[in-house]
Amino acid sequence: MAGGLEPLEPVKDQASLTKGGKAPSVAADRTNRTAALLFLAPAAVLLIVFLVYPTIYTIALAFNRGRQGQFTEWVGFDNFVTLFTKDPNFIDLSHFPPSGAIWNNILWLVFYTGFVLILGLVVATLASRVRYESIIKAIVFLPMAIAATALAVIWKFVYAPDANTGLLNAILGVANVGPVSWLGDPGFVNAALIGAGIWGSVGFATVILSAALKGIPTEILESARTEGATERQIFFRIILPMVSLPMSVLAVTLIVNVIKLFDLIYVLTNGGPGTSSRVIAFTFYQDGFRSGQFGKAAAVAIVMLIVLIPVMIFNIRRFRQASVT
Amino acid sequence: MAKFPRLITLPVAAMLILSACGGGATPTPGSSGTPASNPPASTGTGASTEPGGSAVTGGSITVTSLWGGSEQENFQKVLDAFKAATGITANYESIRTDYPTVLQTRISGGNPPDVSILPGIGFLRHFAKDGSIKKLSDVGIDASSIAGNYAPGILEIGAVGGDQYAIMVKFNSKSTLWYRPDTFTADGVTPPKTWDEFKTTLATLKSKGEAPLGLGTGPDTWTLTDWFESIYIRQAGPEKYDQLFSGKLPWSDPSVATAVDTMKEVLNDNFVNGGIKAANGRAWVDGIGQVFGANAKASVYYEGGFVGGIATGQVNKALEIGKTIDWTDFPSIANTDKPVTIGGDVIAALTTNPGVKEFLTYMTTKEAGEVWAKTGAIISPVKTVDVSVYPNETTKKEAAQVTGASAVRFDGSDLLPAGSPDLGAQLQKAIAGDTVDWASFESQVATAWAAE
Amino acid sequence: MTQPSALAGPAIQERPTTLSGRIVKAINRTPIHIALGLIALIWLAPTIGLLVTSFRPRSDIQATGWWETLSTLRFTTENYSAVLNAQGLLGSFVNNIIISIPSTLLPLTIASMAAYAFSWVKFPFRDSLFLLVVALLMIPTQVAFIPVLNLFKPLGWTQGYIAIWLVHTAFALPFGIFLLRNFFITLPRDLIEAARIDGAGDIGIFRTIVVPLSVPAIAAYGIFQFLWVWNDLLMALVFVQKNTNFPMTLAIQNLLSQYGTEWHLLAAGAFLLMIVPLLVFFSLQRYFVQGLLAGSVK
Repeated sequence: MAGGLEPLEPVKDQASLTKGGKAPSVAADRTNRTAALLFLAPAAVLLIVFLVYPTIYTIALAFNRGRQGQFTEWVGFDNFVTLFTKDPNFIDLSHFPPSGAIWNNILWLVFYTGFVLILGLVVATLASRVRYESIIKAIVFLPMAIAATALAVIWKFVYAPDANTGLLNAILGVANVGPVSWLGDPGFVNAALIGAGIWGSVGFATVILSAALKGIPTEILESARTEGATERQIFFRIILPMVSLPMSVLAVTLIVNVIKLFDLIYVLTNGGPGTSSRVIAFTFYQDGFRSGQFGKAAAVAIVMLIVLIPVMIFNIRRFRQASVT
Repeated sequence: MAKFPRLITLPVAAMLILSACGGGATPTPGSSGTPASNPPASTGTGASTEPGGSAVTGGSITVTSLWGGSEQENFQKVLDAFKAATGITANYESIRTDYPTVLQTRISGGNPPDVSILPGIGFLRHFAKDGSIKKLSDVGIDASSIAGNYAPGILEIGAVGGDQYAIMVKFNSKSTLWYRPDTFTADGVTPPKTWDEFKTTLATLKSKGEAPLGLGTGPDTWTLTDWFESIYIRQAGPEKYDQLFSGKLPWSDPSVATAVDTMKEVLNDNFVNGGIKAANGRAWVDGIGQVFGANAKASVYYEGGFVGGIATGQVNKALEIGKTIDWTDFPSIANTDKPVTIGGDVIAALTTNPGVKEFLTYMTTKEAGEVWAKTGAIISPVKTVDVSVYPNETTKKEAAQVTGASAVRFDGSDLLPAGSPDLGAQLQKAIAGDTVDWASFESQVATAWAAE
Repeated sequence: MTQPSALAGPAIQERPTTLSGRIVKAINRTPIHIALGLIALIWLAPTIGLLVTSFRPRSDIQATGWWETLSTLRFTTENYSAVLNAQGLLGSFVNNIIISIPSTLLPLTIASMAAYAFSWVKFPFRDSLFLLVVALLMIPTQVAFIPVLNLFKPLGWTQGYIAIWLVHTAFALPFGIFLLRNFFITLPRDLIEAARIDGAGDIGIFRTIVVPLSVPAIAAYGIFQFLWVWNDLLMALVFVQKNTNFPMTLAIQNLLSQYGTEWHLLAAGAFLLMIVPLLVFFSLQRYFVQGLLAGSVK
């Protein structure tokens, strides 16, 4: 939370500041059910048919064998038990640090989300100080315009284990550092994959944060400067709190990406070497979905949902503070 | 579960709303100006779900597979020949990615293709047990009448639970050990016939310069399963091979660990060019490139007969068969028998629409086999196809290898049930020096067999 | 766009007019330029690699890294002609457009409306419902395939484009509602209240205040959605079941053989596929630069 400054609604204009406190809220808060219905109906219909109904179907399926997506036989919590105890690829607590898909997702959660947010902010800030700002932003955003299969080929070429075909190894070779098998060495593979993921997502973060930064009124920054605040103080006590809302939005999106992450891993390593780069969604698609064991796949999906609920609740609470009621 | 009828009314209501206001916006198909030059681009109406869909003479059916690119072009020639012979148009639809998933969703969605060519037997059993695939007898084809077209064992591959569901249409040998004759001559070695000779050959090649084996297993872990199967069938024998890949022999059986140890005798940092970690991070095509590319350093590569086409067509167009690329039989291990493992695709009917029976029957004929074999893309399982139609020496040899084999077996990992754990991933671990828990693997495989 | 913003550092009241002043300023900026240069390099190099690869013969791609081409200068256009001449490619390009435009415009509209309701219309259970919508963000699309296809079966919608439009729209809604709602709630209360006091209904407020002030957010959401749909493969595979309706992503995949080793075609195909998204991004760029999530009213 912001240190020492009003954490509530980002200041929009001087006018509302000088009104001295909360504005009268009667008219804007009038309960209006017809309006709600009108504006929500199309979304509600689509969401219910395409998302809610399949979700309920899936939740029910998690307690079933679920062959071919049909309800064939009730198995209670069997799928969950198998998932957590009999599948060492999912979670393996027999040694420290633990291994398994869940552990890898945690790695992604921490490093991918963290670096994308930090790098996004850094690039947005730096770019705002130069004249060629939009060029930088376009360059960093470029990976988002590239189709997933092409991205995989790009990274295959970057991470190839031979110094004459792999870009990274060729660069290392110039410094006489031996070739590394980025995708074949269990010690490096997750870092390599997370790196590729970060590369692909920083542009998204930069675009959003750059616009958020531009929305900070110049008067506030200048008045802080004239009062003698250092750049550091300005950054941590004014800028950061003001972009905290967009950063939360970003963080939620990134976290969701992490939980659903599959394609990059499937194409680059197929979960390997061995099973060292598997993630939860791998279990979902490979072991469950593609094999026709939809019950097991559904159980994985429920686990994913449960993991995300606390994150969602935390974010909703934050947003509630930001909107004055 | 009694709750469901209630939950269904909501989406039904939704559908009614949607169809009432959204119905008029369907664009006309075919208005996007696709060139009509080749049959697959135009639409036939045969893909509908009505029985007896299309008209009298001609009419059309849909055929799907996961081939694209040049494989598709080559298969198209067969479809053209079929049309010339019967007047029926077979429209090819390629499902290049997620083949089993997409096929399953089309079946569940009530829009199955008429004919599907399946790349694995696990899928075949899966779909057969669900009733998504028709027995040959349901389509009007008598299995005994076509049995004569095939060598013993081939038709059985397409049978599930005693009923004939599918027919093998193409395959490649997986017992081809590829090598560079020029390097071999220069280093004074000859193609090995036994496993011990193989190890000696590799050691000699290594001493003369470079680690000789090319290998790429990441993400293509399946290539390691081929190594394993080739070793296992020659070491433990075809009967045990059958048992292992049908769920009758557990993976914790010592023969499995023995075969893996044998694998490690050659797949190790000593013989594999670049080392094992590099191999596990390299695509299999790059493994071919290590041996046959323009900057080749290694000289031996093991994979199936399709390596020839890929090597000469893509990896290095300057290769010359016999001089810079050739293959020899995978070395024998326990005895001098020459079993052959093959990988291939089987064709099955998903509907009984008119044209389907004719198409399946056509695919069992010598004519269809030869049209396809001439392209050099495949080996035809039809016995009567003349070896001379194959366009080059390596494919001719391949066809002969299979007919002369002591036993023919289908690629084991393609026989395992669809929910099995990844054998290739375990083998990756094994060659990297980690211990593999075969008991745990077995229990997961057993669960998959039971769930089938 | 080119004015240095207030973020640029200590408020510099004037630009240095003397040459030495300018040099000093440039030197102060040098670390920034170096850092940005490095960033640009890291973000361009892999893509440039693919671009160069798309102009190399397949055997070269196998043998050496793309930087070798800079010395051997062995280029070819055969990859591009192979892709362009692939049957039905022009048609699939048109299909891409037919699929992408409604799949972008529909969610834009519907999500905006729903987001407005979640931000400025009070109704019971508003926050809980919003939580539910946000939770739907993590539903993997695969979950919907079979149940939804079962619904479409009697309607035959997969024979046309309706199925894919609806599916893309539905799956885009959670993110859209989430993003736009978080933008809408930062709009000035006073404006909205004033409009209400003046008697405007919700539709009026939505049309005349919320949407115009939110163009940057809506544009950003639009472009994210457009990119996502344009490059999509799996949904098209499942919900577009007539192959004359296939988008370009599928058409390019179909150029590959069973083992997927034709990287030269993938590289060329990727760049052909990228042209439209890049055009769209650059032409909509200016909408991004205006305050995206904090309103443009200062």
